[in-house]
Amino acid sequence: MKCKRCKAKAVVSLPSHNTAFCKDCYPLFFTRQVETAIRRQKMFTHEERILVALSGGKDSLALMLELSLQGYDVTGLHIDLAIPRSSEKARAKVEAFCELHGLKLQVLEVANEGLPIPAIKKHINRPVCSVCGKIKRHYFNRIAREGGYDALATGHNLDDEAARLFANTLRWDAGYLSDQGPTLPAEEGFVRKVKPLYRLSEFETANYAFLKGIEIHSDPCPYSGGASFTNHKHLLGELEYKSPGSKFSFYEGFLKKGRPAFAMLNKEEGDEVSPCGECGSPTSLDLCGVCRIRTALKEKMAEAE
Amino acid sequence: MITVQVEPDGKTVEMHKVRTVIAMLNRLELRHTMALIIRDGELLTPDERLLHGDHLLVRKVTSAG
Repeated sequence: MKCKRCKAKAVVSLPSHNTAFCKDCYPLFFTRQVETAIRRQKMFTHEERILVALSGGKDSLALMLELSLQGYDVTGLHIDLAIPRSSEKARAKVEAFCELHGLKLQVLEVANEGLPIPAIKKHINRPVCSVCGKIKRHYFNRIAREGGYDALATGHNLDDEAARLFANTLRWDAGYLSDQGPTLPAEEGFVRKVKPLYRLSEFETANYAFLKGIEIHSDPCPYSGGASFTNHKHLLGELEYKSPGSKFSFYEGFLKKGRPAFAMLNKEEGDEVSPCGECGSPTSLDLCGVCRIRTALKEKMAEAE
Repeated sequence: MITVQVEPDGKTVEMHKVRTVIAMLNRLELRHTMALIIRDGELLTPDERLLHGDHLLVRKVTSAG
């Protein structure tokens, strides 16, 4: 198989684009896709400060490197979840990556915030993945807002976005369908959120990370067994195999035709938000979800002692 | 015979009479965009021929959370 661009030996074949690239041309394809995403979705400019959420996986580290190579003003944010035999490895990968590439990094330890994930798993009677996600989103927004960043960038890729859209559609969840997209503008205490990898699949991001020599944290989270999105990704992967390009069409079609309709519906039904009485984060109640979890955890731990 | 190391599963399998990357992926019941195939530090496309004694690394790309 030959590179479509320079005819050298190809190392990455992409059926969804009906093309293949050599190791030198592939990063250029990746760069073009990220540039197109940023431009078409009006994500940010070179004058703005971007906070990039770094988990240590291939997507977030590839995003951080690519944005820095494109000359954007990026700072990494890693959230240390305090999960034994997992969090320390992820943090080490992120710290080593940022040091190697001379990139700015901020680390937040949830244990110091009264929210260690193992204690939440033990004491809070809710799916731990859901609570963990809520905590991460809370601190991504809060640190971006308090640090005066213009946008928060995450490494969500096409597979993440298509799987999430599929799940939301199966439930016809109008609230989530109204605000899913690669750019969510800043509003009412929420910083602008962007997903510059939304045009690229997991496979495409993994190839970029490999060719750029990025050392990633690839161990699955010990608490994430049987997460439903993994099954949805598998289903969509089969669809993509039989009909290359269908994943992107599904997501792009939603952005053009579906989301505007759901956004209009939610505008009529949406809850009003105000600052949390404890931390100032936006919430539709007196206390935000994370402050309520912290209080509940404190009470449950005191009862257990 | 070829030796295939599958990540992040941490398993190693030996295969006989497998002559191409796509045939190896079929044995593992993987589509080609579900994993990176690496031989001697180089990525391989699905049409690539395999040789007796090859050691391959199959790195699945789907993140599990």
